[in-house]
Amino acid sequence: MIEAIAILVFFALCALGALSALVMPQRRNPALLAIAGALAGAALCVAGSHALISHHPFSLALWTLPVNGTLRLGLDPLSGLFLLITGVVYLLTSIFSAGYLERYREHYSLRAFAVLYFGLFASIAAVLLARDILSFLFAWELMSITSYLLVNFEFEREESIRAGYLMLAMGEAGTLAAAVALLLLANAAGSTDFHAIGAALGHAGVVSSGARWTVFLLSFFGFGVKAGLIPFNSWLPRAHPAAPANISAILSGVILNLGIYGIVRVNLDLLPVSFTGPGLVALIFGAVTAFVGILYATTENDAKTMLAHSSIENMGIIVTGLGAGLVFLAAGRPALAGIAFVAALYHLINHSVYKALLFLSAGTVDARAGTRDLDRLGGLIRTMPWTALFFLVGALSIAAMYPFSGFASEWLTLQALLRSAELDSSAVRLVFAFAGVTLALTAALAVTCFVKAFAMGFLGHARSNRAEAATEAPVSMLAPMGALAALCFILGVIPTVVIPQLSGTLEALGDGRATEALVPAFFATSPDHAQLPKDFVAEFHDLGAQAGSSFIGGRGLVVLHRGGAQNPVVFAMSTSYGAVVLIILLAVVLGAVRFGTRKRRTLREVRWDGGVRQLFPEMTYTATGFSNPVRVVFDAILRPRTVEDSEETVAQHFRVAIRRSREPVHPIDELVLGGLSSQLIRIARLLARMHHGKLNAYVAYVLGTLIVFLALAAAMWK
Amino acid sequence: MTLTASIPEQWSTRLETLEFRHGVGYEVECRPDALRELCNWIADTLGYAFAGLIVEQAAHEWELRYLFHATELPGWVHVIVRAGRAYGRLPSISDLIHAADWPEREAEDLFGLIFEGHPRLGDFVLHDDVWQEGVAPMRKEFDALARAIARAPNTNWRPDRIVHAPGAFGMPVGPVYSGAAESAHFLLETVGEDVIRALPRFFYKYRAVEKIAEGRRAEDALLLAERINGLTAFAHGLACAQALEAIGGLEPPPRGATLRVFLAELERLRHHVGAIQEICESTALAVAAAEAGVLEEELLRLSGALTGHRYLFGLSACGGLARDLPDAELAATVVRARAILERLESLEHRLVRTSSFLDRLEEVGLVTEEEARAFSLVGPIARASGLVRDLRKAQPYCGYAAFRFDVPMEAEGDGYARLRVLFAEARQSLSLMTQALDRLPEGPVRVPEAQERSTAMPQKAGAALGWTEAPLGAALHWVRIDERGMIVRYRIIPPSFVNWHAFYLAAEAFAFQDFPIILATFGLSVSENDR
Amino acid sequence: MSQWVLSGLKAGIKTSRYPRHREDAPGVTPGLPRARALGSPLSEEDLRLIDRCPTGALMRQGERIGVDPRRCVHCFRCAVEGLNAMPWEPSYEWAAATGSGSGSLGHPFSRSVNIRVVDAGDCGACLHEVKQLANPYYNLHRLGFFFTPTPRQADILVVVGPGADQMRSALEKTLAAMPTPRVVIAVGTCALSGGVFGPSFTCSDGVGSIVPVDIEVPGNPPPPLAILHALLLATGRARSAAWRPGSNGLAEEPLAGDAERNP
Repeated sequence: MIEAIAILVFFALCALGALSALVMPQRRNPALLAIAGALAGAALCVAGSHALISHHPFSLALWTLPVNGTLRLGLDPLSGLFLLITGVVYLLTSIFSAGYLERYREHYSLRAFAVLYFGLFASIAAVLLARDILSFLFAWELMSITSYLLVNFEFEREESIRAGYLMLAMGEAGTLAAAVALLLLANAAGSTDFHAIGAALGHAGVVSSGARWTVFLLSFFGFGVKAGLIPFNSWLPRAHPAAPANISAILSGVILNLGIYGIVRVNLDLLPVSFTGPGLVALIFGAVTAFVGILYATTENDAKTMLAHSSIENMGIIVTGLGAGLVFLAAGRPALAGIAFVAALYHLINHSVYKALLFLSAGTVDARAGTRDLDRLGGLIRTMPWTALFFLVGALSIAAMYPFSGFASEWLTLQALLRSAELDSSAVRLVFAFAGVTLALTAALAVTCFVKAFAMGFLGHARSNRAEAATEAPVSMLAPMGALAALCFILGVIPTVVIPQLSGTLEALGDGRATEALVPAFFATSPDHAQLPKDFVAEFHDLGAQAGSSFIGGRGLVVLHRGGAQNPVVFAMSTSYGAVVLIILLAVVLGAVRFGTRKRRTLREVRWDGGVRQLFPEMTYTATGFSNPVRVVFDAILRPRTVEDSEETVAQHFRVAIRRSREPVHPIDELVLGGLSSQLIRIARLLARMHHGKLNAYVAYVLGTLIVFLALAAAMWK
Repeated sequence: MTLTASIPEQWSTRLETLEFRHGVGYEVECRPDALRELCNWIADTLGYAFAGLIVEQAAHEWELRYLFHATELPGWVHVIVRAGRAYGRLPSISDLIHAADWPEREAEDLFGLIFEGHPRLGDFVLHDDVWQEGVAPMRKEFDALARAIARAPNTNWRPDRIVHAPGAFGMPVGPVYSGAAESAHFLLETVGEDVIRALPRFFYKYRAVEKIAEGRRAEDALLLAERINGLTAFAHGLACAQALEAIGGLEPPPRGATLRVFLAELERLRHHVGAIQEICESTALAVAAAEAGVLEEELLRLSGALTGHRYLFGLSACGGLARDLPDAELAATVVRARAILERLESLEHRLVRTSSFLDRLEEVGLVTEEEARAFSLVGPIARASGLVRDLRKAQPYCGYAAFRFDVPMEAEGDGYARLRVLFAEARQSLSLMTQALDRLPEGPVRVPEAQERSTAMPQKAGAALGWTEAPLGAALHWVRIDERGMIVRYRIIPPSFVNWHAFYLAAEAFAFQDFPIILATFGLSVSENDR
Repeated sequence: MSQWVLSGLKAGIKTSRYPRHREDAPGVTPGLPRARALGSPLSEEDLRLIDRCPTGALMRQGERIGVDPRRCVHCFRCAVEGLNAMPWEPSYEWAAATGSGSGSLGHPFSRSVNIRVVDAGDCGACLHEVKQLANPYYNLHRLGFFFTPTPRQADILVVVGPGADQMRSALEKTLAAMPTPRVVIAVGTCALSGGVFGPSFTCSDGVGSIVPVDIEVPGNPPPPLAILHALLLATGRARSAAWRPGSNGLAEEPLAGDAERNP
């Protein structure tokens, strides 16, 4: 019941927000958007969290269309999880928009922005609430269009227009593929309702192997376009930077998730995968996506483009986790599948939170320092300390540093991949090994990338005048970033509270014993405590596994996977205890140092620069320089085009300038986009010959078509 | 073709004067509008080498002296051009003769002359972020002892940047860098991997030697000459002494001249062993660096025991040598030096068989012969690039014509070629020392005019050029004194000034770790360059 | 590579046993002139001798010709010209503490210190002598001295050269970048008094006008052993020489030695 009310309130607030935006004067719009958006986001959070916790799917029939069936909206735990994430990101982004939208007030229509904003919000929620194919596709299209219009918001910039168009075109192609997959399912099951499809196709043997592959591939790559998987992700690095920062946060933090939602919905709920092939495909594509994403992110100097590539990387990691889960499920190891799915969903949550945080910080920096180019920023930690702190928390999380959220989910993903040792087929194990190695490389590159981003953007010298003149953002922009940063920390420090909730979403889909597999009930206060073997509990009791039971309820604070008698603990970690120890250690060491040197005088002097009279910003390391080793090592993949030129004056030896530029070439883009587009253009040219302007020929076309249809009708009638 | 024969044919109508003066060479005076053509003709058609530029301030005009010397035959050519004091503008010849680039910039900074057509004047000797424009300290009006000079440095000064690439930056090296290195600044421009270009900035050590010499006694010029570059003190002192002797018409006695050769070659041997030590140290070949260090210290002690000073200070004198050295000690010195050379050759033998060492020197720091010619390089660096310019052979002095020695040459122009040249010249130096000892006559070491002083003082006014082939290359000293024997103008053209000009050619497109090696294989002196 | 190991071992030990024993090898030091008594009656030659010194290092102090080692540039004119030559002292322990500042680093630094060398315009000879300390004959590492490229880790600042004006800010910055305790050693006559160069519009009369100097080492250039003596003095392992540097040129006491015994 609560969910229904909350959803109703949500839609009402969206409508109210959009309508009042049209009425209000331009300058009040940001505040209005913030308030309405925050309230709507809160309502969605309530709905989502309730659905998540109560495990009570509810369904609401809207109206029935004659041929196509009933349009239904409903919530199940999976939708609830995604709704919760959407609500949180939207809530905080709306508050951020209050301060951020000021910069567009002069040039662009904030009314249009608000309408589109709420439209996007409502359509995203509708996608997640849809319980039948028609409403799903309808809401999906609405979401595509509104997000395209929002990406295009700064329509005076050439970059935005091209990016938006590419996003729309590729998105529609993906939607088409996904729609075909869904319609195939509807055809096989005889109904468009999700619940009905799941019930009809749930038994093995109903759908042939070929059809299963078709559905999987179409849905994987169709929704994969939206999720940013290779080879169809060329739109992502262009669209995310082109959009305003708050929209980029939503694109990365919410809309990419919809692609994953689509894949999960089709392949775990509607037509659960029953053989290992699809899982392996997902593994491989996920791993390669992750690697390619982070590689381009490391060598990219524009902050938002870098974050966009990093989103690709994180989506790759999520899909790798999903793929591992699918393989385990098909191999009959539901516990391991549960672990893998939990890892993937955990990473999804974490990614939404820290990517939103990073995009908001990048937008703040762009707004205050005037540029997104890391080669022209620097020294912002002095003028924008809070933004720097929040960006740092986001960077530590995305680089999977202990004890932040990224660590927990990425660690869990890698552990899930390692569990492939328990499988029989060596071919499968090989694929897992490949994926694991690629993910490890990706993690290392991610650290490089974000060290570069933080160091070049915030530390050192300001490399341009605008960066030097930057000032701190207002509280309305800092507070949401702070909240997201706090969330990053919390999600990392209490994995044992998060995992049971995630495991709950999977119960409806399959065997959701991930909670038992991952979070043993060490706390004596937990109801499942009695089910654990006594000596196991006693051993960990001595190690202090009861600590904290009075603060936080639940099963325990240790993430632990048990094996057989030979190997009682396969893997274990506790970011909760670790964080406490870390904080205590830091405090003790800091205190000891302060105490030990309390009598010493500290001299603050200028940095040592070799005695030059003035250290200019152009004498300090740039982001390009920092990431150059990566560029050189992976030269074969990046294959940059180098242009070197030199100019002379007067005579041969008075050289005045050496120019060199390097453009990375995206080989996948060239192959896929380039190949496809050239073929399409060829076909279009062929067809264009039909348009020669002769009226008589056009009449002949009409006549010919009529004859053909009459013949077909006659044939079919028989 | 002699100069007197060829010049009248083509230039007779455009020259003001042409005469030959003893102790100077041919003096050709032309008008500023003919300067470029004449210099180009001398350099291109006659194939003479451009050696330097001397600027003097006469009563109502500037007198500029462009020095050329023949590479095969003895003979100097001074192309003199005058400009009115108020005007001070002259055409630049640096697009035709690139070696004139730095001398023109130096003259602009120190004298305030304008060389039209030169693309980069200013911020050379006097740094723009310390001094304002227009100081011109070498002008006679400027008081060398003035301490409180108002400074108005350019607050918008930015370093010269050549590389334009996204994300390019310049790594600053110096002026205080490394463990113990001479102060100079290098801006290594890079996009993060290879260094594309290294831009040096010198004259942090500018001591205005040429300025403070004015008004001092001629014999004190010898002190200044020795201390321009303490490592080649005797060679510079000898060049200055020869200039003074040319003014005063003095000829050192045979024993003095022979001992001069002995000491000059002893200094060359010690200097080159030091340079070899620096190269081994830069490549971090510790045992070789230690062995070379041992040899260098032994040569320093040898010099100190023989002459009383490890770096041969206080021996140069106008008219000969400041003091005599006993034959027995000279012989013992040669014996010990030969033993040192044997160990040096054993070191060389092992070095050229160490591939990790050669890997760091080969193809590193390339200077092609064409570049060496365009920049008029001198010394072992030029010889390693195939350009043999040795003043001991081309313009013999001090009786070198009577000695038998080879001038080693290599063609590759990389660090390894420069190292081979150093070893070969060390061998030649010992051979010269042995020959000098063999033909050492009895007699006084200096002219009777010196009386009881260690050095003679020329008593008449005049100006002359003195030159030596210092261990680093051609060192030129131009001295003008008045009738009281006081210095009016003291101009020094050291070999490092000529060679540092071409350093950036060698330091192009290299890995950052090679930078100390390129510096070491050049082995140039910053104090000599900065004066 | 083994050829280097063998040849290195075969070369044997060359290291001087200073400071445990005197170093007597010929050529280790150029020496300094020693003060002597004036002849009685006063001779013209003695007075001309005092004038012959180009930097004013010889001065009349009552009945003696005193020597200010801070100004001696080793031109040897007072030793070789046909006048009553100055006696020569073949010593090398010339370093003296100025008395301003600490002059010594204290006990924790006595066995291991880092040195930052700054070239403020020297001719190359002083810097070269400093670098010779690393060759096997002197091997300053055995005494715990190390050169460092960063002043942040340096305890001793060694300055050579007369203090060229365009190196002023670099020298000041280097000193400012060094944490305390720190000792500044001015090496060479140019660094003490400007030598033959200073003062002028671009050189000072010694680096003492740019940075506060704790220990002075005269010589042109001072031999490596004299610089080593200065380093040992800075770490409290040697005694200061007998002459006391004044801040503005004249030494308060002439160079000690056998001056009293010489008529």
